[in-house]
This record gives sequence, C-alpha cells and structure tokens, in this order.
Amino acid sequence: MRGEKQMIYKNITFKAAPFSYDLTFDDRITLVGGDSGTGKTVLYEMLEDLRLTDEYKDVKLFNYKSDNLLEAIRQCRDNFIVIDNADILINDDVRKFINFEFSNQYMLFLRNCDGLNVSDKSFKVLKFDNNRITLEEEL
Amino acid sequence: MIDIYTEKKDSKDWIFQNDLYFNLNTCNEEMSQNEVELIHQVDEAKLMPDKRIETKYGLGTIRNLSSGCKTLLNLVKHPDKVVCVEECGPNVLKIIFAMDNIKIYMSRPSFADIPKDAKIRFNDSDIVIGNKGYNAWWSKEYERRKADDL
Repeated sequence: MRGEKQMIYKNITFKAAPFSYDLTFDDRITLVGGDSGTGKTVLYEMLEDLRLTDEYKDVKLFNYKSDNLLEAIRQCRDNFIVIDNADILINDDVRKFINFEFSNQYMLFLRNCDGLNVSDKSFKVLKFDNNRITLEEEL
Repeated sequence: MIDIYTEKKDSKDWIFQNDLYFNLNTCNEEMSQNEVELIHQVDEAKLMPDKRIETKYGLGTIRNLSSGCKTLLNLVKHPDKVVCVEECGPNVLKIIFAMDNIKIYMSRPSFADIPKDAKIRFNDSDIVIGNKGYNAWWSKEYERRKADDL
C-alpha cells in the first residue's frame, strides 16, 4: 500500500525458554538503542528461527554477514525488516529506501537516526525483567 | 590523549567491522584480568579460561559478546588501530572516554559521559578538554557541515 504507513506486525510475541519476548511496535520505523549488552543480537538470533514459521514469514533479517544490503533490501515489499549492526551498514541510499518504501516495517538496531523519518515513538530499548523481554520507550 | 577521527579512511589500520575483526582476531588473544572485568562490566558475562562465557541469556562463547563489548576489547587490545565506536552504547562510551592513548572513529557526536579533564584531539589537529570542549567542537563542526551543505 504505497504512500500509507503500514504495520506488518504490531506485536511480536514468542517464548524461547526460559525467556519470553513481548515486543510492541508503535511506529513503522523502530530504532532499538540503549546500552551495549542488552540483548539486541540475541533477539536477532531468535528471529532467525522465528522467521521460518508461517506467522512470521514476513520477517527479513540483515546483519554484517549479509551480502549487498542495498540490493537485497530493495527487493523487499510488505516485509518486516530487521537490521542488526545498522550503524555500520546503512548508508544514505538505504535510509532513503526505508523512508519511502512504505509497504515495509522496520526494526533497526541503530543509534544514528540522521535522515530517517522517525517519530518520538520510534525510539526503543530492550528491557529485561524476570526473563520477560519487552521494548520500552527510550528516555 | 584520545584521538577522534571524523572522516572515514580506507586503511588496514582502521577497524569498522568490530564483530568481524573480533571474531577473527581479538577473540583468539589471551584476555587479561582487566579485560575479563570489562567483559563482566559491559555484558555481565563471566569469561571462562576456555573462552566460553556465561551470561543471563545462557552459555556461549566469547564470540557471543555484544558488538559494544567487542569494540571495547578491539580498542584495548589494539591501541595502534583506529576503531569505529558508532555501535557502542552509552555504557561502553563511558569506559572508552575514561581511557587514554586510544584512537577512535565517529562521524557524529555520540551521547557520552566524558570526564571533565579528558584530553581529546580531533583529526590530528584541534585539542579540546572534557565534555564541554567535546560538545563545543561538534557544534562548530555542524556549523561547518551546514555551511558546506553536507
């Protein structure tokens, strides 16, 4: 649906014993920041399994091991795109694509929001509480 | 002195892909007690002598440390290299800015808790002191970038 903001997943909820993830997204673009060591890459690795299920087949994953990010991401439509190591991976062209390809939703493990059309609802951190992991607003 | 470089340079002495560099190089080096403590401080991870780690997420190997922690160890182990710190969270940057004789790359100001007596040199040229000097330098840099339409 070009030109309109679209949410592919408003929530991503799953168990990965002993942990349970309950992730809520409030914007088409979510930037996950916060301290190092809060479990962003652990979440990414969980999503590698989750995307193989029917429910989450729209998840597309990219990290520093991915080949030719720009070309690969340009093929994505109606996907939930997750990019780990985004601070070193995404250039101006990728940022433009993210801004203007409205059919996708994005979760970016990224600190530098320059050039992205984000809102105050975009900024999140992972919170770990009693083995339950959630996305909270970054203060 | 902390050397900060703000323009990217393609050189074998610069580390941009900290995960990759760590996984192929740094992780194979012996870790000192200080480095074991840094790993615990940043990732709350306990490093075993055989390079396995134990964290709240379970057991793994040293290659399962966070990107920020790997960046810090690349910096500590290779002070001759210029290390990109753009993936580091505030907890790691606080440790980095308390260090001395290191070289880092950042293309934009990162939120960081900088000691007021930290001596920082930008691009082998301007020397500033502490958080105040750091912020003032970036303000001027952004004025320059705006004037140059960057």
